[in-house]
Amino acid sequence: MQGSDATDASTRDADIVDLIRRGAHAQAFELLLGRYERRLYRLCLSLLREPAQAEDAAQESFVRIWKALPNYDGRASLSTWSYAIARNRCLTALQRRRDEETLSDPEVAVAAEAAAVAAADPDDRGQLLRELVDGLPERYRRTLMLFYYEERSVSEVATMLGIPEGTVKTNLFRSRGLLLGALEKLGLAHAELWLEVAP
Amino acid sequence: MKNEHDPTRDATPRAPANAALERALDAALAQVLVAPGPSSAFRERLRAAIARSDATDIGAQRAQFERELREQMAELKRGYVRLQRRTLAASLGGAFAAGAAAMIALPWLQSHFGAGSIIAVPLVGAMVGLAIGASQVINRVAPARL
Repeated sequence: MQGSDATDASTRDADIVDLIRRGAHAQAFELLLGRYERRLYRLCLSLLREPAQAEDAAQESFVRIWKALPNYDGRASLSTWSYAIARNRCLTALQRRRDEETLSDPEVAVAAEAAAVAAADPDDRGQLLRELVDGLPERYRRTLMLFYYEERSVSEVATMLGIPEGTVKTNLFRSRGLLLGALEKLGLAHAELWLEVAP
Repeated sequence: MKNEHDPTRDATPRAPANAALERALDAALAQVLVAPGPSSAFRERLRAAIARSDATDIGAQRAQFERELREQMAELKRGYVRLQRRTLAASLGGAFAAGAAAMIALPWLQSHFGAGSIIAVPLVGAMVGLAIGASQVINRVAPARL
């Protein structure tokens, strides 16, 4: 399912891979940084939620990429390899703070978020929608966020999260279902309400 | 997932009104979920972190090389001491064996070959011994020159 994306990424990053093979690691890293800085940061942000922690994780990921660049063997595409490094850094960070999580059950989290937004200003629909997205179960929330961050690219989101494209589509379908359910519960399930939302 | 949030509920076809709502929701999400970027100081901090990491790597490599050098020098010293002890033991053993041989052989040589053989035969033995010693020294020193 990710074959076409892997091919696109390989073509896109052929110049970087060529530089790595020629031993021009500093030059290759500069290109890679320019190309993946925002993408890795977005991935970290979607996994960690906190901008400061996401920046730290993205920074650590790039330091690891810099160190590992001479050993890159080209078996995985550069994008898959870079995303895997960032994902692992984020998972380590998440593991560290797992004990601090109080709302672990997805349904409890969605219910708590819905209750919170019910009390919020009904005119601020953008904020309400963001809070509803924040209350989604983790796997749906991160898929949905990356989907819109990457301007609706299922294949890129699949590569970033290291999951099949089919799973991304399923997560998107279910997250929209959850959002619609929450809107119905709040009495806000009317298309005209959502046609123009301030960002 | 047992309440109205149950995602499996959405597997059923939607009514046209819901399709319109979904399209509106999609547009709203696209407006609300704007792709953020890292702060302007991100690259600067990243370059500083890489420089620190490289310095740490060089420091760690230097410490490792120094540790290996110390170990090699200690091993060389131990080998040198062993060689000295063996050489001393061989010298003492050789001298004892030569003394014992002289005690037995000299009276026998004098009785069979006359008084001159007492000087000539030990001289030949000493020459042979010196030749063997010289060849051993050359053999031990030669690998160190490579």
